[in-house]
Amino acid sequence: MRKRVVITGLGVVSAVGNHLSEFWNSLVEGKDGIKEITVFDPSAYRTKIAAEVSHLDPEAYFSKKEIRRLSRCDQFGLIAFREAWTSAGLERDSLDKERAGVVLGAGSGGILSVEKYFRGFYQGQKKSSPSLLISYSLATTTDHIAIESDLKGPRTTTATVCSSSSASLGVAFEMIQMGLADVMVTGGSDSLCEVSYSGFSSLKLVDPESCKPFDKRRQGLVIGEGAGILILEELEHALERDAPIHAEFLGYGICADAYHLTAPEPNGEGVERVIRIALADAGVSPEEVDTINAHGTATLFNDIAETRGMKRVFGERAREIPISGIKSMVGHCLGSAGGIEAVATVMTLKTGTIPPTIHYEVPDPLCDLNYTPNRSIKKDVRIAISNSFAFGGNNVCLVFKKFSSE
Amino acid sequence: MEVYNKTFRNTPNSLPGRQAGELQTPNSPKAHRVVITGLGVISSIGVGIEVFWKNCLQGISGIKPIQGFDVSSYRSRLGGQLPEIDFKAFVKPANLRRMDRIGKMVVSSVRLALDDSGLNLSEEDSSRVGISIGTGLGSSDTVDQFFRSLLKEGPIGAAPLLFQTAVPNAITSHCAIEYGIKGVNITFSHKESSTEMAMTFAYHLLREGKADVIFAGGGDELSEPLYHVYSMLGALSPGKGRGAEEMKPFDQDRNGIVLGEGSGILVLETLEHAKKREARIYAEMAGAGLSGSTDGLLRYDLKGDSIARAMSLAVKDFQAVDYISAAANSTPDLDRGETLAIKKVFGERAKEISVSSLKSLLGEFDGSGGIRACALALSLHHGMIPPTIGTKHLDPQCDVNVVLGQSKRNEMRSALLNSCSNGGSNISLWIKQYPFS
Repeated sequence: MRKRVVITGLGVVSAVGNHLSEFWNSLVEGKDGIKEITVFDPSAYRTKIAAEVSHLDPEAYFSKKEIRRLSRCDQFGLIAFREAWTSAGLERDSLDKERAGVVLGAGSGGILSVEKYFRGFYQGQKKSSPSLLISYSLATTTDHIAIESDLKGPRTTTATVCSSSSASLGVAFEMIQMGLADVMVTGGSDSLCEVSYSGFSSLKLVDPESCKPFDKRRQGLVIGEGAGILILEELEHALERDAPIHAEFLGYGICADAYHLTAPEPNGEGVERVIRIALADAGVSPEEVDTINAHGTATLFNDIAETRGMKRVFGERAREIPISGIKSMVGHCLGSAGGIEAVATVMTLKTGTIPPTIHYEVPDPLCDLNYTPNRSIKKDVRIAISNSFAFGGNNVCLVFKKFSSE
Repeated sequence: MEVYNKTFRNTPNSLPGRQAGELQTPNSPKAHRVVITGLGVISSIGVGIEVFWKNCLQGISGIKPIQGFDVSSYRSRLGGQLPEIDFKAFVKPANLRRMDRIGKMVVSSVRLALDDSGLNLSEEDSSRVGISIGTGLGSSDTVDQFFRSLLKEGPIGAAPLLFQTAVPNAITSHCAIEYGIKGVNITFSHKESSTEMAMTFAYHLLREGKADVIFAGGGDELSEPLYHVYSMLGALSPGKGRGAEEMKPFDQDRNGIVLGEGSGILVLETLEHAKKREARIYAEMAGAGLSGSTDGLLRYDLKGDSIARAMSLAVKDFQAVDYISAAANSTPDLDRGETLAIKKVFGERAKEISVSSLKSLLGEFDGSGGIRACALALSLHHGMIPPTIGTKHLDPQCDVNVVLGQSKRNEMRSALLNSCSNGGSNISLWIKQYPFS
C-alpha cells in the first residue's frame, strides 16, 4: 500500500530572504536578489553578479567554534533545517528519531572551504587548516543536520548538481515508502564558490546583467546560493501529532536524456518523458496540472527545450497554465535549486499565489507560453509540478497537491 | 527472527514493532522480486569477474607502493591502484575523449556487467532501463586540475571540458549516453555508503515496478588530491605514525586505512524480466536496511546500535544468514562497532556466521560497495568466501568468525553486505541464494 506523504515543515535561506516569510513575500513581490558578488573577488570575470545570500549573521546561529568548522553551505543548510524542523513542531513533539532521516541534494557543497585550503596549499602558504577539508565530501551538510538533531533514520546525499535537491525529495519519499522512516528532512543547500562560478562562465552560460528566463534577450543563468529544506512526513504520522500540513507530495519522476554532457535534448523529449513519468507516479492526468515551477535557467537551449517539452505533454492547454521561473529572482542555486523551488511550489499551493518570472519583456517566438510575467497572480491551484534538469540530461519532476484530508 | 527479537529486547534502541509491516514482507503480491544477472568489475586485482574472482579466492592483494604521483612527503606510501587499462576496449572512441579516468572506469564496468548479463539493450524499452551510481569523491582529480588551472591563470584558465566532466553526476551521464539508457538516472555521494545507496534505490524502484533493469553500483578513483586529503585528516595507515602500514581489518595491530580504487556494477533486474529472457541469475537481492548514527562528523557507529539496526531492517530470515561481507576497514572504531552490531543482531548464532572484509584485498574507498557486492553475488553463486588477508591476530574486541588466511568453501543461503560511513550513514543489503532453498 502506497503511503501518503505530506510536507509539514519548510525552511529557506536565499538571496531574497533568510526565512520562509521573507522569501515568500519577496517572490510574490517580484524582488530581484541578484547583485555584485562579495564572497570572492569577481573582478577578473566577465560577469560579476550572483544571487548571493546577504544580511545573514552566522553568530546569531552558531558559536565561534562552530563557525570555524562549518562551511558556508553547512551554515545555510543548518539554518534552513532549524526553521523547517521547528515550524513542523518536531522539536516539541516527541519523535522516534530512529525513524527520522535526512536526504539532501548537493551541488558544490563545501567547496568554498576546500578552495580556501587548496589556494593556501598550492600557493605555498602554511596557514591552510586541515579542518577546512572536512567539507571535501558532499555528504558533510547532510551529516551535520542529522548529528545536530540526533536523527538516526536513513541518510544519504544525492549528487546530480542542478537537479540534486529535487532528486533528494524523490529519494526521501521512497525512504518513507520502504517503511524505513516516518519523517524525512530533505531539500538541499549550496554556496557560491569559484569553481562552479568559473565553470559556468567558461561554458559561456552566465548572463552579465540579470537572469531573464524565457525572454528573447536572455543570455544565460545567474548563479545563486542558499538552502531550501522540507520536512516530508507520512500522513498518518502527521495527523496523529496534529502537525501543520502545507501540501501533499504525490510523486515524482527521474530520467535521462542520454543525449549530451551539457546540452539538453533540443526537442524536449526528455522533458516530456520526465513530466509524464512523474504524473503517472502521482496518479494525476496532464489536464489536472494547474501551475508549473519551471527549471527556467535562462540559458538559450534549456528554455526552448523545456517549453517544447511542456507543450508535448499539455498540448494546446500548455498556454493556459501559469508557469513561474523564480531563478529570475533567486538565481540558479545548483544543489539547492530544487529544494528552494519545491518550497516555492508548496507555498504556491498553500496561498493560491503564483510567483512571477521577472525581467520578462521581449517574448521569444520559441518560448511562447504563459510565464507569469513580472507580476504574481492569484489563482486557486490544486496540482503543481516543479521541474529540475541537470547537466547530462538528468531530469527530475515533482508533483504536489494542495492538501485535503480526503 | 527469534535471535533478533531476543537481542533487541535488551538493547536501548529496540526496533518499534510497526516496522515489521510492509517492508518485512518480501513477496507481497505487488512487489516484484529483484535478481542479480550481470556483474562488472574494474579493480586492482582484476578487470572482469573471472580474474577478479580467482584473485579474491587466492587472497591476492591489490595493495602496492603508490605509482603515478609523489608520496614521499607523506607518512603513508601504499595504495590499491588499478593496473594500466586500455579503456578503448570498453568505451566508444567518440565518447572516450570526453571522459576522465573515473568516468572511464565506471563506463567500462557497466560494459562488463552488460556483456556478462547477456542483455541486448536494443531490444529493451530504453525508458525502463535505468542507472543508479554511487561515488564518494567522483572526479576528484579533474576538479583539482580545473582548480589549479584557475588558480594559475584566473578565469581564462577555467577549461569548459574539464568542468563538465568534473560534476559528480558526469560519470552517470557518460553511462547514459554510451548505452542509451533513458530511464532512471541518479548519482549518490555519501562517503562509504554511496554505492550501497545506489543499489538500495535501484532495488526499491525495481520492486515497485518502476523499471525493468537498473545498472547499479559505482566506484571511486585514487587521485593525488584525494590521497592528500585523507592524509591531512589523519585517516591513513599508519594513522598516528605507529607500526607498519597495512590493511588488516579486525586485527589488533591495525592502525588505519590504505586507500584503494575501482568500480563495480551489478545488473539488477525484476525476476519476471530475467526469466523471460532466460538470464543466468547469480543471486536475489532481498532486502535493504538503512540507519544513521550520530557519534560525530568523522566518526563511525561506535556502539554498533545503528549498524545493527541497518542489518535487522534488511534481513527477513535471520536463521538463513551464513555470511557477512563486512564494512570493517582496519580502523579500530569501525571494526569494533561492526563486531558489536553483528553480535547484537545474531546473538549466540554470530559465531556460526562467516565474516570477511574484502577491503583487506582492495583497500578502502568510498565507492567500494559495487565491487564488494559483485564479490558477494559470486560467493553465493559459487559457495566460496574470500579471506580477510593481512589479518593475523584478531583484536579481542573483534571476536567474530573472521575468515582468515585462505578462502573457505561455505554453502550459504543468504548473506549481508554492510557499509558504514564516517559521519554515520549505515546501509546493509541482504542478498539471497537463487533459487532459495
